[in-house]
Amino acid sequence: MLKHPMLEYIKEEGSSGMRLPHILCPGCGAGQVLNYTLHAVDDLIKEEGVKKENFVFISGVGCSSRLTSHYLDFDSGWTIHGRSLAIATGALLANPELKIIVFTGDGDAAAIGGNHFIHAFRRNINVTVLCVNNGLYGMTGGQVAPTTLPFVNTPTTPYGNIEDAFDLCKLAEVAGASYISRWITAQPMQIIKAVKKGIANKGASFIEVLSQCPVHEHETPVDSMNALKEITVPVKKAESSDKIPVGELHFAPRPSWTERYESVIEKANQRLS
Amino acid sequence: MIEIVIDAKYCKGCNICIDFCPKKVLRCSKDINAKGYRLPEAVDIDACTQCQLCVIVCPDLAIAVTPK
Repeated sequence: MLKHPMLEYIKEEGSSGMRLPHILCPGCGAGQVLNYTLHAVDDLIKEEGVKKENFVFISGVGCSSRLTSHYLDFDSGWTIHGRSLAIATGALLANPELKIIVFTGDGDAAAIGGNHFIHAFRRNINVTVLCVNNGLYGMTGGQVAPTTLPFVNTPTTPYGNIEDAFDLCKLAEVAGASYISRWITAQPMQIIKAVKKGIANKGASFIEVLSQCPVHEHETPVDSMNALKEITVPVKKAESSDKIPVGELHFAPRPSWTERYESVIEKANQRLS
Repeated sequence: MIEIVIDAKYCKGCNICIDFCPKKVLRCSKDINAKGYRLPEAVDIDACTQCQLCVIVCPDLAIAVTPK
């Protein structure tokens, strides 16, 4: 029978029975991001000859972080809340050849893992961070998050959110990430291209995907996904608009942490011999 | 011969594939799966251009179209 092409990279069955369908709600943006990332990885494996063993997927805790070790037939780690970037740093130390993809949510990256987030980008470690930003804490009941837009109603802000939202792309740029782009889930081809560019970039790449959460937004998946088009604007037209810019926001390659670390090892070896 | 297969075990009936299809090949059917989700169905297979957009956007990896 004809099957979805990306099921090739998924563990459909585990020791405790069927793993799929996954736990995510109907129409979840995290599921779409998984599909896009697998398409990008599939292209790299089949067209550019990158070895499957070289890919490692690491995630923390949250809806989007459930995507890795539960379902993927790659080396993967489902790690501590907010500390996925710290564990990615350790994996890179053990093997600098790895192509590490970190799945994270807005709560995982910006709230509990905020400090790891900025320091991983300051070091410019060679990872691709995919942040599925739905603007609320989905797994715990839709409460207000640092990325919730102002005046949005959530269970903990029933009269509207009074705080301004975190701009994760600007934060990553100031911290020192070398490739930064922002997309919405309704831009499949752009995200696939961005993931490929992020993996090819030798340094920290940050890709933020604004995502729908139909369950907590109390809308149908299609309406919820298309509502993101209303609040965003392409980066070229961003100056004359107060909406959220989407597109490639920043690309400035600089030496990565692993490259510098290798030069230190070389220097130390010379001095010892 | 183009074939469009929707996996009734994996599909959660979110209708995102129906929204994305540029040729409006898919529509919501009257069938429901074991979990009570309404599945999409292909109505006009001849209009399908095998662009694979529905395959790329599916959050549940539940749809497959014969590759070009």
